[in-house]
Amino acid sequence: MKRVRMRRLKVEKRTNPSAWTVFCISLVSILLAFVVIGFIFLGFGINPLEAYLEIIIETVGNSYGLSQIVWQSIPLLLCGVGLLLAFKTSFWNIGAEGQLLMGATAATWVALFSPLPEPFLIPAAFILGFAGGAVWGLLSTSLRSRFGINEVITTLMMNYIASNIVLYLIHGPWKGETMRGFAYTDQFPESVWLPTIGMSDIHWPTLLLGLFAAVCVFFILNRTRLGYEVKVVGQSPKAARYAGISYFKTIFYVMVISGGLAGLAGAGEVLGVHHMLRHSDQVSLGYGYTAIIVAWLARGNPLIVILTSLLFGAIYVAGDVLQLSFNLPFQIVNVFTGLILFFLISSDTLLKHKLSFRKGE
Amino acid sequence: MKKAVLFALCLVFLLTGAIGLQAQDKLKVGFIYVGPIGDMGWTHAHEVARRIVEDTFPWVETVYQESVPEAKVEGVIDRMVRRERCAVVFTTSFGFWEGTVAAAKKYPDTIFAHCSGFMRAPNLATYMADFYQIYYLNGLMAGALTKSNKVGYVGAFPIPEVKRHINAFTMGVREVNPKAEVHVRWIEAWFDPAKAKEATNSLIDAGCDVFAFTEDSDTVVQVAAENRMPVFGHYSPMYNSAPDYVVSGQLVHWENFYLDFLSKVHAGYYTSKNLENVDYWDLLKEGSVEVGAKFGMPVNPKWKSRLGKTYDLVMERIAQMSDFQMVFDPFTGPIYSRKGAVVVPVGVRANYGHLLSLEYAVKGVVGSWPGEPK
Repeated sequence: MKRVRMRRLKVEKRTNPSAWTVFCISLVSILLAFVVIGFIFLGFGINPLEAYLEIIIETVGNSYGLSQIVWQSIPLLLCGVGLLLAFKTSFWNIGAEGQLLMGATAATWVALFSPLPEPFLIPAAFILGFAGGAVWGLLSTSLRSRFGINEVITTLMMNYIASNIVLYLIHGPWKGETMRGFAYTDQFPESVWLPTIGMSDIHWPTLLLGLFAAVCVFFILNRTRLGYEVKVVGQSPKAARYAGISYFKTIFYVMVISGGLAGLAGAGEVLGVHHMLRHSDQVSLGYGYTAIIVAWLARGNPLIVILTSLLFGAIYVAGDVLQLSFNLPFQIVNVFTGLILFFLISSDTLLKHKLSFRKGE
Repeated sequence: MKKAVLFALCLVFLLTGAIGLQAQDKLKVGFIYVGPIGDMGWTHAHEVARRIVEDTFPWVETVYQESVPEAKVEGVIDRMVRRERCAVVFTTSFGFWEGTVAAAKKYPDTIFAHCSGFMRAPNLATYMADFYQIYYLNGLMAGALTKSNKVGYVGAFPIPEVKRHINAFTMGVREVNPKAEVHVRWIEAWFDPAKAKEATNSLIDAGCDVFAFTEDSDTVVQVAAENRMPVFGHYSPMYNSAPDYVVSGQLVHWENFYLDFLSKVHAGYYTSKNLENVDYWDLLKEGSVEVGAKFGMPVNPKWKSRLGKTYDLVMERIAQMSDFQMVFDPFTGPIYSRKGAVVVPVGVRANYGHLLSLEYAVKGVVGSWPGEPK
């Protein structure tokens, strides 16, 4: 038989890829996704270069687009940081959406019905918003600790309950007098609207809270006992038990923070964006679910969540641009995120393995 | 490298400049939709009208964005005015009012019109084409067709608009058949085929044999047809979904409003300074709404004989309400709520404000009614 000299692919395990490698591989996979999306543009009869040029101009190309990106990334940042902490503990919190809604509900109560004097309203709304989200998260924790019920199911189901509580309130006891029978609460008094930066819609107090949360969680993970326990529990609950770490105590604290941050996001949305409580689908545009991806992409580093939430903010804005400028259907945003995720998740193999060519026989 | 970047930047500016220049000649109009244009109801009807406008007026150019979340409407308007250079923007859902009012302040030279809203400004008009007279006419037919004396109604949200329609429908049913009841199920969504199906099945279980609804798909039509029961289409011509079972329905001609409004803008009659009192409330006599299984077919011929004398009554009422003096209106007293209160006294015709904020259920309505006055 004739011997053929050929190059063969060699696959090796890669341990602890450097931050640079992670960044490069992620970037390449996102770019590959853009190439594929380009073919979709072609299918619609749009020149992909023209489309990308328009996207760049309208997202990062002017202050207006940039402000839109930041504005959309605020709830993703808060929820994402919280989820990242929960995921580190291997507590699969799918309930950020519901925790966000309960935070929004609690903040609405403060803004519309609490007897507090004016200067305390905004801080109180944030504190109660945090508490609302935390309590909602803890319900699943206690179901887990009491009855061993899988948290994926309970946190997910709690989302629907939260959504229906919002619907009940806006159709029932909280229905606004001034809304002509439509299902919205009254508008909050202007004194509890969050200030925004200049002409933009960016409600900076929530943004600051988000950045602060990212730094705090980074600190907790790397410098505190809780952070150590989180990592041990997350990697091996059995090992944690041998080491005398209480599983339930750990997930209790984790969910207070995780649910609470989602609650803060909800409070920020009603105080800074809506200025009222409205239909749950409108209060949160699926932020609690998108934040799962945002957290996952950050690969365990809460500071990276700042970047990934901005990335998804940009994807949202890019979707808007494509719809308006090129008449693409609104589902294009989902196609976009789906493809980017597809490539990023596939790239995981490359992070764990090293490919090289070697000469074979 | 630096040169390349500089060159790219210049290119970008040239291109954007060119895009901006192109748009100057025509009147550019933006449409903002709350749902997908592919639904079978509200948004689709506005989209059909938009295309008619573009085909009719060569001096109009349109852009649109669909499924816009309420909180994002201001951002979309920003882009339409700033980037697309729209001179007129239509926001087609009540929930857009906050963003539209804010944008109207921000862009005083742009003309805005907000559908189903009530807040106006010098550059912000409001408009609505309402179905209550059509629902009343459908009610007359439903009353004649029901054998079990139970008519089913799948409602979207318990808000005044839908309550007004159910009441008008029920008054029609009871005018022809005083023993009949209208059973209501709420699905808490404008578009949710799964819930609409569930609601229809539960109404069938409750003994209903004729159906009407407010939901932006043809699910109720399909379920009714599967069970061989007559049904009234909503918003889009649904005759083709079930030619044997769609008796009639509610149809809209939004282009009627858009053409009127835009021609007045074009003529300089409407400007960004004089819209404070411009409010369209279009009914049968304005020609913006129509009763029918499809356009031009008020009653499905297959059902005409089953209607008997009611057919003539329907035709008479259409003529009366289409008369520009509107010699008949269903919301004429005495009207009693199902709690027994007189809501419209004898001889009085309910005015616009009453209809817009109506919360009660009339006699004959059965089922939960959130926000019902005591």
